[in-house]
Amino acid sequence: MNIPNKARIGGLAALAFFALVPLVTQSDYFIGVLTVCFIYGIWATSWDFMSGLTGRENFGHALFIGAGAYTAAFLGSRFNVNPWWGLPTGAFAAVVCGVIVGVPTLRLKGPYFALATFAAAAIAQRSTRIFWEYTGGEEGIPGLSPLIGSHLAYYYFCLGALVVTTIVLLVLARSSWGILLRAIRGDEAACQAAGINIAFYKIVSLVISAAFAGVGGVLYADYQLAVTPDVFSVVLSITIMIMVYVGGMGTIYGPVGGAILLALLPEMLRAFGEYRLWVYSLVLIFILFFAPGGLIAPICRRIVGVRR
Amino acid sequence: MTALLAVEHLSKHFGGLTAAKDVSFELQPGEITGILGPNGAGKTTLFNLLTGFISADGGVVEFEGHSLVGLGPHRIVNLGLARTFQLCRPFLGMTVLENVTVACLAPRVREERGTELRARRILDQVGLSAKTEILVDVLPYGDLRRLEIARALATKPKLLLLDEPFAGLGVGEIEPLLALIRKLHAEEGLTILIIEHKLRELMQLVTRVIAMDFGEIIAVGAPREIVRDPRVVEAYIGHSESVHGVA
Repeated sequence: MNIPNKARIGGLAALAFFALVPLVTQSDYFIGVLTVCFIYGIWATSWDFMSGLTGRENFGHALFIGAGAYTAAFLGSRFNVNPWWGLPTGAFAAVVCGVIVGVPTLRLKGPYFALATFAAAAIAQRSTRIFWEYTGGEEGIPGLSPLIGSHLAYYYFCLGALVVTTIVLLVLARSSWGILLRAIRGDEAACQAAGINIAFYKIVSLVISAAFAGVGGVLYADYQLAVTPDVFSVVLSITIMIMVYVGGMGTIYGPVGGAILLALLPEMLRAFGEYRLWVYSLVLIFILFFAPGGLIAPICRRIVGVRR
Repeated sequence: MTALLAVEHLSKHFGGLTAAKDVSFELQPGEITGILGPNGAGKTTLFNLLTGFISADGGVVEFEGHSLVGLGPHRIVNLGLARTFQLCRPFLGMTVLENVTVACLAPRVREERGTELRARRILDQVGLSAKTEILVDVLPYGDLRRLEIARALATKPKLLLLDEPFAGLGVGEIEPLLALIRKLHAEEGLTILIIEHKLRELMQLVTRVIAMDFGEIIAVGAPREIVRDPRVVEAYIGHSESVHGVA
């Protein structure tokens, strides 16, 4: 992978900045906000790996997030399993969901994949209420034991998880695998005519995307020490998609920036008091209107001076 | 000599429309065959049937003795039967080199070392080596045609189906492309099946022509014979009596 030096330096500078933030601020609250930002970063970049690169939009990323979060919480609260087991089992549960949704729908042309992901997440959210004996219904599962006791250590752990996720997905996206995903986005029939099994590549990419989203879901559950049906919500899925659009679709690193920016925005707008949501929406509309190709990635490209 | 491709009683209906009716023919290795026919004769449908993009209602297609019935498009390409599209279908947002690299990653050719090197060599072969790093979005139409052929060549086909390769090309672009197709046939021993409306170009290239109309093969023969065949003339110009009737 050849990355311009400026891009390397930029990435390291961003990493150093977030690594040093805890030295400047003493606010436990702000550390918590940033921890959630990193988790959103994992969700956004994992969405981008499948949907951004292939152009097949997943409207139910929350399905994978919720599957991860609920699996970890369920095992932890019912069977008192060591919380670290939550990470692999949560990822596995998300992968299973990815296979169930992806295999029947990604072979078809048309809107079936988008509709199926949307519906699957809604069904999962409903199920948490139907099977309330196991999922705790509307209340969810509270009182989880923490993965890491110290908030500061957890901050660094989530930052590390985001960095690993981003690097792994970036390497994949810049490899021949990524070329094929972008070709699928360009023209599926032409891909088939070039001898590529497009269903295979789309399904495996969805599974990879789901695995990382599931890990993010586990991290979120362990941050809140509780899960609620909201982790399956449409609002969460759409929020993640907006973060990717603002970051720059198909770039992997852009959505990380978009996620951190949009997750921080409500905090930055505190001065507006009760008009906060209003201003937030306005800012969002302006970004989407004036930067349809995204905000973060195009700016990065301009600075580094590359096309991609 | 055993046939490279054997098609028997192939048929396809779209509702009440017959797109292919009892189509049977054979292609011998190393042959260049043309398919001729007015618009809507079922030429592109035939290509789509052979390459698995649509499935036939009945009939048999055998390629090197393997049945292609029920196989998906990518499986057929990996057996060595590649095609180009009538309207160029480049992967937008990607460079010329990346476009060809995609086809170099097909399982049939993937094991070979140096995917990028192979892609460059193929681009050299079709005369696009100076434009490898250019985004295909800004490529002129003539170059897109070459790219389309390069992508098919990258899968190392034994049989290449060309769907109107000269359509939309300017006068200056046709001659080099003709030379390219001749070169591929001479150097690689490629078997080629070509759909083309431009009769002059088609007749220069092929040794045998299959004429189609309304989904049926109406005549098969050498280029000189086929253009004089009364059934072919009728398909193109209309029935002589009806012409008189109008007059």
